[in-house]
Amino acid sequence: MLVASRELRRAPVRFGLLAGAIGLLMFLVFFQQTLLSALLNSFTGALQNQSGTVLVYTWEARDNLEASVLSPDVIAQVAAVPGVGQVGPVGAATLTLVFKGEQLEVAVIGAEPGKPGQPTKLISGRRATAPGEGVASSESGNFGIGDTVTTGAGGLPVTIVGLTQQSQLNVLPTLFVTFDAYTALRKAANPDATAVLASALAVVPSSGVSPEALAAAINGEVPSVTARTRNDAVANAPGVSATQASFVIVLTLAVVVVALVTGFFFLIMTVQKTAALTLLRALGAPAGYLVRGLIAQVALVLGVALLVAAGLLAATTATANTGLSLTIEPGALVASTASIVGLSLLAVAFSVWRVLRIEPIQAVNPPALGGME
Amino acid sequence: MKLALLELRRRPWRFAPAVLALVLLTALLLILGGLLDGLYTGFTGALRAQPGPLLVYSADAKVSVPRSRIDAAMTTEVKQVPGVEQVGGLGTALLGAEVSDQAAQASVALFGYQLAPRGVPAPPEITGQVYADTSLKAYGVKEGQTLLLGPKRYPVLVVGWVSDTNFMLQGSLWGSVDTWREVLASARPDLVMAPGTYQVLTVSTTQAADPARVAAAIDAATNGTTHTVMRSVASDSLPGIKQQRSTFIAIISTTFFVVALVVALFFVLLILERFGMYAVFKAIGASSGQLFSQVVLQAGVIAVLAFMLGTLLAVGVGALIPPQVPLQLTAGRAIEVGAGLLVMATLGSALSLRRVVSIDPATAIS
Repeated sequence: MLVASRELRRAPVRFGLLAGAIGLLMFLVFFQQTLLSALLNSFTGALQNQSGTVLVYTWEARDNLEASVLSPDVIAQVAAVPGVGQVGPVGAATLTLVFKGEQLEVAVIGAEPGKPGQPTKLISGRRATAPGEGVASSESGNFGIGDTVTTGAGGLPVTIVGLTQQSQLNVLPTLFVTFDAYTALRKAANPDATAVLASALAVVPSSGVSPEALAAAINGEVPSVTARTRNDAVANAPGVSATQASFVIVLTLAVVVVALVTGFFFLIMTVQKTAALTLLRALGAPAGYLVRGLIAQVALVLGVALLVAAGLLAATTATANTGLSLTIEPGALVASTASIVGLSLLAVAFSVWRVLRIEPIQAVNPPALGGME
Repeated sequence: MKLALLELRRRPWRFAPAVLALVLLTALLLILGGLLDGLYTGFTGALRAQPGPLLVYSADAKVSVPRSRIDAAMTTEVKQVPGVEQVGGLGTALLGAEVSDQAAQASVALFGYQLAPRGVPAPPEITGQVYADTSLKAYGVKEGQTLLLGPKRYPVLVVGWVSDTNFMLQGSLWGSVDTWREVLASARPDLVMAPGTYQVLTVSTTQAADPARVAAAIDAATNGTTHTVMRSVASDSLPGIKQQRSTFIAIISTTFFVVALVVALFFVLLILERFGMYAVFKAIGASSGQLFSQVVLQAGVIAVLAFMLGTLLAVGVGALIPPQVPLQLTAGRAIEVGAGLLVMATLGSALSLRRVVSIDPATAIS
C-alpha cells in the first residue's frame, strides 16, 4: 500500500489525467442515462401520468394511441366486463394549433371531465371542465395559464387553465382538453370527418380488482381490443423500445470504453514498472501486497472519476437547455456505476495476472540476458 | 515490411485480442449502418417513388401526409400554375391488416393514388383491389389473398406486387382513390375526405420548368394555403427521420472512435513489450520511419482481416434476424465501413509514433 500511495503522490498529473478522462466518460454515461429517462417521459408521460390504471386500444392499433379507434359498440362491451369500475373515452391526435400567430404541432388529448384519463401531475391551475378550457404541459415552455390557442382553420378557442409536468406525448407540447373540445378541434381540422371516435378507453377497476386482472379479463372477453395496465401501455408504446435499444447500444459502448481505458492504462503501467516490481518481489514483497496496491490505485482513480462525473452531471442538469425535463434518477446511476466498476476491475484482472506472474529471480537474471521469461 | 508480416504469421495469437475486438466492432458497424439504411427506405419508400418532383401539402400540415388536406378548389389552382404538367391526388391510411392463416397482424399503409408511382402499375380499376409491397410477404401475404383492414375488417384483394414503396415502416398497399375513400369511411371516419379532396398532391413539371420555381409559384397561386416541397424534403420531413439519422450517426461515430482507441492502446502495449527488440533494430541501422511503418502495416493488415471476418459475422447475424426487422446490408455501406475501419486503425496505430521515435538505440547494449 505504501508503495502504491507513494506512486500516486509522485505522479499526480498522470493519475489525475486518467481520473479526469474516466470521469468525463462516466459523465457521458450518466448524462445519456438521464437523457433517456427524460426522453421516455416525454414520449409517454401523458400515458403514465393520467388517472386510468388500465388502457384499452383496438387490437390492430398495436399499442399506438393515435392509430386506435374504438366504436361505441366496443366501448359498451368493455364497460360491461365484470371488474370495470369507472371508464372514460380518451381521444388523442397531433394537430397544428395556432398560438400567438404561430403554428405549433401539439398533441391534443381529450377526456370526459370527472372520468378516468385526466392528467394527474398538475403543477398549477386546475383541470379542464368545459369545452373552451385546456391544461398544457409545462416542459415545452410554450403556454402559460390564460393563453389561448385554436386550430389553423379557426374553430373553438381553448384557454389554458392549468399546467402539468411529465405529461407529454410523443415529445410534443401536449394539451389536455374535454372530449367535446377534442371533437370540435378534430372537426375544425378536417370538416369532412363523419365522426370523431375515442382512441382508447381509460379504465379504473372496481375495488378489490387489480389492474392486471382487469386487463386480462377485458382481453379475454372483448376479442377486438388490447387492454394493458398503465405501465404495460407505457412500455409497449411505439418508439419506446427502439429508443431504449439505441441508448442501450451507446451506453454499453461507453461502459466498455471506460473499462478498456482503465484496463489498458494499468496494464501499460504494469508493463512499464515490471523491473521495479520484480525488484520489490526479490526484496521480499509478497505478490498479494503488490496486487493490493494495484487494486487500491484502481479504486482511487474510479472514486475520483465518480466524483468528477457526479459533479458534472449535477451542473449540466441544472443548466442544460435540452427542451426536456432532466431529472437525475439515482437507481439508474447506481446500476451504471456498478457496471463500470465491475467491468473495470475485470479489465484490470490482466494486470493483476501480470503482477502475479513476476518471478523474483528475474531481478538478477533478466530475459534480455538469457533469463527465463 | 517483411518483418511485420513475418511476425503476424509466426505469432498470430499475439494479435488475436485486437482482431477479435475489431471483428465485433466491424459487425456492429455494419449492422448499425444496415439498420439505418433499412429504416430510411422503410420510412420513405412511398414518397421517394412518387412520379413528380413536387409534393403539395396544406400549409398547416407541417409536411405530414395524414394531417394534410387539399380540396378541389386548391387542386384546380395548382393545375393552372405555369410549369405544372400533371397533378395527381394521393392519400393514405395507416391500419392493421388481418392476414388469413396468420396469428399476427400486419401493419399496412393503404394508398389511394391517381398518378402511378415508380414501379407501381396504374391504379386497379376495380375498387377493393390492391398491389402489395413485397415486404408484406414476411407477414404471410400472398398474391390472390384477401386482407381485412381496420376494425371493421374491410376486404382488399392483393392482385400484384411492388417493391421499395413502404411508408412509416408499414407495408404499403396501392389501390384506387375509391378504395382509399371506402377504407377511410370504414376504419377512420375522423379522417374521411369529401370527393375531390386528397391529403396531398403529387406534381410533375414540364421539362423546361425549374421545380423549385414551380413550387414557389404553386404556394403563391394558392395564397399560402399550400406548402409545396421537393420529394426529398418530403421524405426527410417524415417524423423521426432526422432524429433516427442523428442517433445512428452518433452511435456509428462513437464506434469508429472505439476502433481507433482499441488499435492505439493495443499497439502502445505491443511497442512497450517490444522496446528492447526495437532498440536492437535501431542499433543495427533501422530508422524510426521503418519501424513505424511496420506498426502501421500490422494495424492495416489487422483491420482488413477483421473487416472480412466482421462482414461474414454481420451477414450471418443478418440471416438470423426476422425479415420484419428493417436491416438492409449493402455493398456501399460495407465499403464505407471498410474504409473507415482502415483509416481509424491507421490513426490509432499512428499514436505509437512518439514511442517509436523515442527509442534510444543505446538501450540495446546498456
